[in-house]
Amino acid sequence: MKPRAKHKATPKRTAARVKRRVRPAVKRPVARHVEDAIDALMTASARALGLTIAPLWHKSVRFNLQLVLHHAARVEAFSLHDDAEPAPVFHA
Amino acid sequence: MWDGAADIASAVAAGRATALSIAEAAILRIREHDPLLNSFTAVTEQRALARAQAIDDARAAGRPLGPLAGVPFAVKNLFDVEGLPTLAGSKINRDLPPAARDAALIERLESAGAVLVGALNMGEYAYDFTGENVHDGAVHNPHDIERMSGGSSSGSGAAVAGGLVPLALGSDTNGSIRVPSSLCGIFGLKPTYGRLSRARSFPFVASLDHLGPFARNTRDLALAYDAMQGGDADDPACAGRDAEPVLPLLERGAEGLRVAVAGGYFKCRSAEPLAAVDRVAAALHANRDVDIPYADTARSAAFIVTASEGASLHLDRLRTRANDFDPAVRDRLIAGAMLPASLVVKAQKFRRRYRNAVLKLFEDVDAILAPATPCTAPLIGQETFVFGGNEIPVRANLGLYTQPISFIGLPVVAVPVPLEPLPIGVQIIAAPWREDVALRLACALEQKGVVAAKRPAL
Repeated sequence: MKPRAKHKATPKRTAARVKRRVRPAVKRPVARHVEDAIDALMTASARALGLTIAPLWHKSVRFNLQLVLHHAARVEAFSLHDDAEPAPVFHA
Repeated sequence: MWDGAADIASAVAAGRATALSIAEAAILRIREHDPLLNSFTAVTEQRALARAQAIDDARAAGRPLGPLAGVPFAVKNLFDVEGLPTLAGSKINRDLPPAARDAALIERLESAGAVLVGALNMGEYAYDFTGENVHDGAVHNPHDIERMSGGSSSGSGAAVAGGLVPLALGSDTNGSIRVPSSLCGIFGLKPTYGRLSRARSFPFVASLDHLGPFARNTRDLALAYDAMQGGDADDPACAGRDAEPVLPLLERGAEGLRVAVAGGYFKCRSAEPLAAVDRVAAALHANRDVDIPYADTARSAAFIVTASEGASLHLDRLRTRANDFDPAVRDRLIAGAMLPASLVVKAQKFRRRYRNAVLKLFEDVDAILAPATPCTAPLIGQETFVFGGNEIPVRANLGLYTQPISFIGLPVVAVPVPLEPLPIGVQIIAAPWREDVALRLACALEQKGVVAAKRPAL
């Protein structure tokens, strides 16, 4: 338990600070080989699952697949023992 | 009408108002104001009037009335309502046959005397934080109709905040009660996972789905919550605990409760959430920070469990009726279907580990405060917002503070801090099964005037 850090920010001051420092949303370039791999995964998965991806949806599905794989990578990097039990239905 | 549920029930019980007049007034308000808010998808007028008349008849005959006698309420349209198809915010479900029986929680509220007046708009299949719906239109925030209500229980948030009903029910898988509560400036309770029955509601992510109430004050929230408690064999995840009423404990105050502020991941870098948490923390003398460990991984794990289970639920519809989905929902579900199972299992294993780590924190504290949303209500259609100096997408990030909490089923009361010009919520997070602690603190804050549901100028 740590003592709460004191800060002197007021909403107005913080808002002003935030305004000065805004960085626009930058779409980070995805390496070509990663894009190719995601496209290959999409094509193979869609075929295996019996899903159709219309050309118009392709970009959006790929964006969402990249996003979910980004989150999955963070979980994958978390170290767990072999005896870790899943909690498919959680009882608090 | 801005009367709360407790006031209405008391007036009906004392004969100062009839349930019928209350129901008629509620329906009139919906007809008058809902064209602006777009919060209702069905108004159950005949049913409501008949039910209200039955309550008045019971009173006239000297029969006992329930604690919610004559209180109008409405439900997110993923709750089964007898005679209506359960839309779950979708176009596809309009083809379903009408539900044969009400959802369990509707039955329980009506047993306590409440009167169902309608079904509420929501994000498609509950996969949404914005309150935008391509089939039924966006729900508008009563505090500024150009702004989002939040989702996916968008209609529930707007109908209560707009004064159309004093009470509503919604669902919360990743934040869908707490996000609209925050953006609409009302109180919302996401109970412990397994506390309230989900029987006869349309699912989204079975291992994360919760149902709960919205209200404009803590007393009403507690009244509704108490009326809905108790086990139910029709919901396999319902824990079957006996009811533990919180209403008698509500006014015990904050004294003796150890409250800390969530640090680290939850240390918000935006002005409004920061100001709201500071106000609440100061009022509760919460002068300690506590780190919720692995919260960023928890959010990611919630994200992939949601994507995968949601995709599994809808896979056949994605094959056969993909064009009938909201494109934003469809494309996320398709991506979720492609996620390797090994990663989802890892997320479920992590979940148990994370749960054990977080439960340890409750050995030293009774409640933890955290922002409910990273911003006040964005404009409808707004795609990004500024957070910590960066511009980030709205749709994916409105739940960034709620997801790590619901992931392990902790009970939370979202309390509204009436900042100007727009309100914002703070999460009061308690240990499993200690909804009473969160509601006591919410009530203490309300009595101090720190949190309140501000009446919008509709």
